[in-house]
Amino acid sequence: MTAEKMGKISTRLRATFALVSVAFVVVLAVSPVRDYFQSWKRYEKDYVSYAQARPESKRLLADFHPGIDQIWLPEMRVVDRCTTCHQGIAQASLRDPSVPQPFRAHPDVPHDVKKWGCVICHRGQGPATEMSEAHETTLAWEQPLLPIKFIQASCGVCHRANLPQTPKLDRGRELLSQLNCIGCHHLQDIERPAMLGPDLSNVGNKLNRRWIYKWLKEPHTVVDASGNTVVDGYETEAEPRMPQFRLTDQEIRALSAYLTTLKARPTEPYKFDPRVVAFLQKSSDLVDQGEMRFRQMFCTTCHSLLVTRGEETKLIGGDIGPELTKVGSKVNPDWLIAWLRNPQSDLPHALMPRYGWSDEDLYKVTQYINTKLTDPDLLSNVPSLEEPTRDETQLGQRLFLEKGCASCHAIQGVGPQKDFGPDLASLGSKNVSQLEFGNSNTPRNLIAYIQAKITDPLSVNPAARMPQYRLTPTNLDAITTALLSMTGSPANSSLARLIVPRSQGEFRPAGAFGELYDRYKCAVCHRFNGDGGTLAPDLSFEGSRAQRQWMVDFMKNPQTLRPTLIFRMPQFNMTDQEAAIIADYLGMVMQSPSVKLSAVDQKQFTPQMVEMGKQLFEVKYQCNNCHTIGSSGGYVGPSLNDAGNWLNAAWIEAWLKNPQALVPGTIEPRRSFTDQEVHALTAYVLALKQKAPPQVKTRAATKTRGGAQ
Amino acid sequence: MKWRRSILLLIIPAIAILLSCQHKPAVAPATPLLNAYDVEQSSNDARRLISLSYRQAQGKRIFNNNCVWCHAAETPAGPSNRSNLTPTPPLINDGQTFNSLSDEFMQNTITLGGSAMGKSAMMPAWGQTLTHDEIRAVIDYARAVAEPPYKTPARTASQYPEK
Repeated sequence: MTAEKMGKISTRLRATFALVSVAFVVVLAVSPVRDYFQSWKRYEKDYVSYAQARPESKRLLADFHPGIDQIWLPEMRVVDRCTTCHQGIAQASLRDPSVPQPFRAHPDVPHDVKKWGCVICHRGQGPATEMSEAHETTLAWEQPLLPIKFIQASCGVCHRANLPQTPKLDRGRELLSQLNCIGCHHLQDIERPAMLGPDLSNVGNKLNRRWIYKWLKEPHTVVDASGNTVVDGYETEAEPRMPQFRLTDQEIRALSAYLTTLKARPTEPYKFDPRVVAFLQKSSDLVDQGEMRFRQMFCTTCHSLLVTRGEETKLIGGDIGPELTKVGSKVNPDWLIAWLRNPQSDLPHALMPRYGWSDEDLYKVTQYINTKLTDPDLLSNVPSLEEPTRDETQLGQRLFLEKGCASCHAIQGVGPQKDFGPDLASLGSKNVSQLEFGNSNTPRNLIAYIQAKITDPLSVNPAARMPQYRLTPTNLDAITTALLSMTGSPANSSLARLIVPRSQGEFRPAGAFGELYDRYKCAVCHRFNGDGGTLAPDLSFEGSRAQRQWMVDFMKNPQTLRPTLIFRMPQFNMTDQEAAIIADYLGMVMQSPSVKLSAVDQKQFTPQMVEMGKQLFEVKYQCNNCHTIGSSGGYVGPSLNDAGNWLNAAWIEAWLKNPQALVPGTIEPRRSFTDQEVHALTAYVLALKQKAPPQVKTRAATKTRGGAQ
Repeated sequence: MKWRRSILLLIIPAIAILLSCQHKPAVAPATPLLNAYDVEQSSNDARRLISLSYRQAQGKRIFNNNCVWCHAAETPAGPSNRSNLTPTPPLINDGQTFNSLSDEFMQNTITLGGSAMGKSAMMPAWGQTLTHDEIRAVIDYARAVAEPPYKTPARTASQYPEK
């Protein structure tokens, strides 16, 4: 190789080397240049100039730290860099909506934003430093920001009990258990009750085949032409517990045939006292008397009826029991009488109390139900069905299991099958790639998937067995929120420590009171030591509040203290002895530790104090704006007409000092009364006694009673 | 030309790396109502939806527990107590009455009661029942639902106290 040749090559090599070097430098420069232009740096610069323009700039700038800001929660495996751009997140002065994002402060929530970071509640990719990567779905991160509409789901991840701040989540959880979702799905923290749908062992004695056929086709009794539960032009909020399954005519025929063969316990027709029947049949307004009795007993506290007043048609009544508008066309009259006398003999877990019926009342009310609560056209579009054939019955028996009926309904002691549908206990943390969308047009995200699955299950899975639910948009969002909160069991023990469990008190009284407690189903409406329903007052401290004689009278003839209340305590027709047992138990056991009944001596109250209390009540504090005395006054609080016979003096004093300490969340505002004012007001309230005590219609224990003992 | 080819081989991956870094993730369409904590129908126009922030929603909850009995036309228990009272208490969304009152005045009236502020003694003092922030939230809720709508007055620097 000659020197010239070598020189030539070296020139070319040099040129190549130079170009390669330039390319190398360019490639190396990419990273720092991109880093220099990172959007979070721009946001930090913008924040500094925004803070400088604010009047409180000194404080804002003192709290500002350049660079990537990171909150690290190692036990939760969370790295959160959101505060790099959201610099003003904890600055109280930047809470105003006029502050531009991303600098606006977070609203004042019970958790410290600087300590917990953002992604625990809002989801998204915490370590990301690009806005779109942090907020949205990327190839590597499938948990985008949770829309604020559903944000209460994040509260429910740790707070398994209801919170006052999360009404939407609580409503969703309530709906999940009301709609019996737990029948087929395993759900986080929702207990499977003793009974979902009724046990069908004896349904053949209760219903006829045509009614079962109609019910399986459209499980509503109050419906419009298209099968929707429409009252007064609006679809009611009340979704029936029994969902509408997609069944063919043949399947419905088979199921109804099978169910009518289930006659476990033959119903003996009840023999009324012939003298009572003969006497009642003479009265021309027997049905009206029955209706009157139905109303007086306050059946509508648990059951609703379609009522037309003027031009308006409404479902009025409670939702603890089924709607009864057309029940007379549904059930066998002999079964109805047996049921009313003792519901638990047919369904051991029924919530209905066992009333003490007299033959007279039972006859009147059943006549009313069988005459007035009917609809001759109810079964008009049901074909006439022949005697069930053997093939139909066998097919029905198979379908009962295949269609999932057995998930909610037991037959002949065979318990319901569990986990018929998929486990939803960790649905809220599912990635989009784990969901089956099929060929649907549903947007590919978890929320759209949940909502499509509930409202139109076939759209995402043509082979779905799940029935279709018609929910109002509000209820659908509530259920979605509750499902999103179910993110599965905590991954490790330090996470498990953060869970605030649902605490459920347990109250199981024994003895004579225990029997009555079970018979009259007190806990369906009342709460005792954290256990029971919320429809009626909490009775945990009733013994401190009410006087014994008042309780006895109230139990025998419940009269509401709140004139505007729709839901009232039913009249159970208790005997004197039963009322005494209950009053004694409540008086002895259900007492508040902070009310000492002996601490207030009623003898100290002088007429002067009563007069002063009257002045305070009527003029200074204007209590009569909320409490009725005589026939005037407001109806926010209870009527105080008979308060002297109702309340204990020590309770009144404790209540006046701090109502919320006795009943958390009660409406009555806490005032700053002086001790003298408290004594005077107590003296006045105790002096309020009705001149003539109300005539209590007692029913002697010896009288003929319909109720089985 | 071999060397040109080799340079091309270097530059093309460099450009490819640059381009791939520009990949933007899929953008979800923004829906304003999705980002409202709660939504309420306007009382005057059922089609108009008022979006409520977290604090306003807390105010709504407190209103529905404590205030609804006298400051709404309908209550959870049925009829309102308003008809029993003279002078009739204003409705929560009564912008005619509330828009001219400052936040501070409303805060004081709720905390100390009507009689302390020269208003009706029927309005009880809530200062010992509700916290300062809860009362503030109720005012925010009243501002959100006001008819005619409430306009925030221009703020002055002195309203932001230095710590």
